[in-house]
Amino acid sequence: MPTEDVYNRIPMLRAERGVSRKDLAAALGVHYQTIGYLERGEYSPSLFLALRIAEYFEVPLEVVFSLKPFPRLGSEVK
Amino acid sequence: MSTLRESWDRRRIEALHTDLLPGWYATRRRRRLLASAGLVSIALMWVNGALFWAPKGDVGPTIVYFTLLAISLVLYFPAVTLLNVATRGLTELAERHLDERQLGERLRAVALAHRAMTGLIVVLAVTVLALNVANDRHFSMPGSALFQLTIALALTNFVLPLIVSAWRLPDPPPDEEENGPIGEGQRIEGKTAT
Repeated sequence: MPTEDVYNRIPMLRAERGVSRKDLAAALGVHYQTIGYLERGEYSPSLFLALRIAEYFEVPLEVVFSLKPFPRLGSEVK
Repeated sequence: MSTLRESWDRRRIEALHTDLLPGWYATRRRRRLLASAGLVSIALMWVNGALFWAPKGDVGPTIVYFTLLAISLVLYFPAVTLLNVATRGLTELAERHLDERQLGERLRAVALAHRAMTGLIVVLAVTVLALNVANDRHFSMPGSALFQLTIALALTNFVLPLIVSAWRLPDPPPDEEENGPIGEGQRIEGKTAT
């Protein structure tokens, strides 16, 4: 049975755009600790919340979330 | 009327999101100690019910009852207040004030507490049945004991979801202010992109 781990790039997107956890939480209407739990992989969002996160960052869903670990930056440049 | 309710809700949310003695519930171990204190206070209520049940003269003067009640209340109010702040009102606030993670966590806590309550009621029913059989079906319970046990049962039912949710609560992610502003070399941990 496959694990239910969902990987995400929320911290990277936040850092890139200079958005704090509290700002993102306020924009999404969730508790700021929920963003922290999402980033730590301790909570997997509903499809609705995942879509809203992708919409907030204006990127496709698969840019933010993946069922497999995201490759390290620069790992494909060899 | 709705303004009054909104104002009340707002004040409760603010109170539950204001860190009151944060050192008391900062770590999982401390939250579990607080949850244990809450459990002990409830257990003392049950002991009081049992004392009322016991034949008079065997359990000492009424001061025992009031002493246990005082200890129970001294433990109960601070523990429940701090647990509510620690869980950010997970079991206290209306659903519309919680997000999907909090709602899911509340559902799990209520489900576990419900299961524990079912077990407790079964134990209580079996105890009464066994006493009835042992006393040749002439078992009776004093009204005062019944009242005490009903209060203990109601209080347990009321506070158990809070205790369960506080017991399960993982340590929250550190505030960003502790790690410096975002985008300035903040350490990013967890199962995330690298």
